Amino acid sequence: MDKTQLLLVVSVALFAMGLLGVIVRRNVLVMLMFMELTLNGVNLSLVAFGQQAGAAAPVVLVFLVFVVAAAEVAIAIPIVLLLARAKGTLDLAGYADLKG
Amino acid sequence: MDHRLLLIVLMPLAGFLLNGTLATAFGGRRVDRRVVTAIGCGLPMVSFAIALWCFAGLQAGGAPLAETVYTWARIGGRAFDVSLYLDRLAAVMVLIVTGVGSLIHVYSVGYMKDDPGYGRYFAYLNVFLFFMLVLVLGRSLLVLFVGWEGVGLASYLLIGFWFDDMDKARAGKKAFITNRIGDAGFLIGMFVLYQAVGTLDMDAIDAAFAGGGVPVSASLVGILLFVGATGKSAQIPLHVWLPDAMAGPTPVSALIHAATMVTAGVYMTARLSGVYAHAPEASQLIAAIGAATAFFAASVALVQTDIKKVLAYSTISQLGFMFVAIGVGAYGVAIFHLYTHAFFKACLFLGAGSVIHALGGAQDITRMGGLARRIPVTFVTFAIATAAIAGLPPLAGFFSKDEILWFAMASERGGSVPLFAVAALTALLTALYMFRLLWLTFLGAPRMDADVARHVHESPPTMTGVLAVLAILSSIGGFVAIPRYLEPLLPLPPVQPALEHLEAAVMIGSVGLALAGLVGAWYFFREGGTRGSAVGARFGRLRRLLAGKYFVDEAYDALVGRPLLWISQRVFLEFGDRRLLDGSLDGLASLARRSSGALGRVQTGSLQRYALIALLGIVATLAWTWRHA
Amino acid sequence: MGGALTVLFAVGAVAAAAAMLVARHPMRVALALIVAMLCLAGVYAALGVHVIAVFQVLIYVGAVMVFMVYVIMLLDVRDTSYTRRFSPLLVPAVVAALALVAALLVVVVEAPSAPPGTSPPPFGVRAFSQAFLDEYWLHFELVSVLLVAAVVAAIAVVKAGARRHG
Repeated sequence: MDKTQLLLVVSVALFAMGLLGVIVRRNVLVMLMFMELTLNGVNLSLVAFGQQAGAAAPVVLVFLVFVVAAAEVAIAIPIVLLLARAKGTLDLAGYADLKG
Repeated sequence: MDHRLLLIVLMPLAGFLLNGTLATAFGGRRVDRRVVTAIGCGLPMVSFAIALWCFAGLQAGGAPLAETVYTWARIGGRAFDVSLYLDRLAAVMVLIVTGVGSLIHVYSVGYMKDDPGYGRYFAYLNVFLFFMLVLVLGRSLLVLFVGWEGVGLASYLLIGFWFDDMDKARAGKKAFITNRIGDAGFLIGMFVLYQAVGTLDMDAIDAAFAGGGVPVSASLVGILLFVGATGKSAQIPLHVWLPDAMAGPTPVSALIHAATMVTAGVYMTARLSGVYAHAPEASQLIAAIGAATAFFAASVALVQTDIKKVLAYSTISQLGFMFVAIGVGAYGVAIFHLYTHAFFKACLFLGAGSVIHALGGAQDITRMGGLARRIPVTFVTFAIATAAIAGLPPLAGFFSKDEILWFAMASERGGSVPLFAVAALTALLTALYMFRLLWLTFLGAPRMDADVARHVHESPPTMTGVLAVLAILSSIGGFVAIPRYLEPLLPLPPVQPALEHLEAAVMIGSVGLALAGLVGAWYFFREGGTRGSAVGARFGRLRRLLAGKYFVDEAYDALVGRPLLWISQRVFLEFGDRRLLDGSLDGLASLARRSSGALGRVQTGSLQRYALIALLGIVATLAWTWRHA
Repeated sequence: MGGALTVLFAVGAVAAAAAMLVARHPMRVALALIVAMLCLAGVYAALGVHVIAVFQVLIYVGAVMVFMVYVIMLLDVRDTSYTRRFSPLLVPAVVAALALVAALLVVVVEAPSAPPGTSPPPFGVRAFSQAFLDEYWLHFELVSVLLVAAVVAAIAVVKAGARRHG
């Protein structure tokens, strides 16, 4: 397998592991971190494709993803803080208020 | 175009409309009693006068009068007319209805004097007369049926006249419903007739059956129509309403349940004699039921203690006699008995009304007695009528009953010795129970309360006058030879030659039966009925059977009434309506509720579960894409 | 050489991610994530995309993960999420993730391979900024709008928090 394929496999693995972690772990902060992992996996795939095509666009997009990720974390953390203070727990099971 | 028949019919209708709107609570009671009386009694008398005029014209050799009033309906090329027809038979009936009817209207003036529903009473009585005239003068079975139903309605209204009393209202309901059951048979008979003959005009039907070639069995039609007659004329099995109908005012009992309405069945079968002449099975059935009913009712009348109930059972019994005559083909004789019965039965009922009026409302004959001296006119007229019904010559009842007995034995169309035996036994019972009634009510020592006894008084002249007229008619009415008058229309049946010589013997025998009844009643019921009660105590079980009217009402309730109620309650209400209909609707609703509850459980509030489901969705989408890409 | 380094860092990233999955303490999870990001930065560098590698370290590790670590230290709550790490959906999630990997690998395996031999030149800051501001300046402006929104939201959250707790 050549370099692109390897990188793509890694990217798929990171993406899947990130999604798995979001579903499986109970701590809400850990969930956020897994979401970052997912984004990293996507970044890697972007770079791999950019390398393969030799284009500059993927690199720029990766930079923009960085910016968005940073903004997202900047908002997510305070929300988690408020949630934790309101519910007194970081366990996601305690946040299940919107029941059917 | 001659409109006399229409006028006869419309006079009482006008009386109904006028009294009904002006004299009742409906219209505000605008007129006083005298106007109500004038309208209510006067218009039937006008009808009687016009009827006499038409009758005179018929006697002078005229043809039967036929008037077509209007065309009721045109259906598929066939026209149904409302037409009126007066031949000899209809003339006899019209004169009885308007004549006796007018007399009873006059009687009611005195009887219902203190009743607040005076105007309503006369309105209902007039509407009854209207429908009865429609019945009698109708040319086609359809018009007759309109009158048939109409008199049933009037009967219901009048039986339940004092509707605040639930028992009386229930009696009216019972009469109407029992009649309707009979009408089902009548209607089916009409349908069959129309299908077979193509017209409902009764003279045309008679001609069609006489000519032969009608594709339906005359017996079938005869039996179906007779079912209707059993309802209207209170024969077995639909006789149960007539004793209960005594809940109405006594003049009503006299007019409707003695003289006119209950005779409608007899009239209808006589009118369709052309059918019954070719229906031997139906005729045999009619004779059998007539004889059975006559005997059954006479036996029950023997132990009744209410003066009106005795007369009610007596009416059922006499109607049975009329049907015996019809059953053996002697249609004119049946009409003759109808005619004489109208006089003496009306006189008896009105006399009973006079007694009730004198005693301030009491009807129990075990607590009467000794009234003969105190209300002499009532006593004399009642005695004359009693002798007439028992069959003592030369009163009216003797002639008609003797003819019936003779034809029951000797007619070639169904006469037989057993039939004669039953009829003769019934005649004996008739005399017995009627004289019993006379003795217990009027003679012997008084057995009533002292203060009731103090108020005994003779009735006003409006009442006693009518009683006198009817008593006179009961005496001399038999000399009018109705059967011979009706012979061109209703031929008498041929007599078995072997028995021809017995005619005189039968006549003597029937007189003997009447006298035996008189003597028997004197012997058993002389001293206030003590000897009679002793005999009754010895045959206790038989007495209880008779007093319970053979428990027919109870049998009907158990066999028909209660199962119907059970079916309505358990099958239709609880199962059909509640479980099936409501259940399916509620079931749909609860299905919606339960499914929404189940679907709602998807929303657990857990983000991770949502994410998992999204992941599964992504996997599925990818798989599908790569399968089909 | 570059190829070997790429493979090494790639494997390292995956291993760090796996370590994230099983670690109990959130701090250990954070550290594992930092390692993964650093490995990824190494991958980018080995590929010659130095700009992204530097930005990865500066922004992701230096800002985002520092913030994360700070919050983890702030909210050191020893509650049920510590004692019971995994939610009840563990088994179905693992199955679903494996299915996802399988589905995605189908594409990856079938992807056309690049012409061998040619290795693109290193991608420096000059090239990056030229491409960025020549063609993607609009995207940049939009992102800055997003950042402003984020700042406003952060202030709002702080204010809400302040109002609730005096």
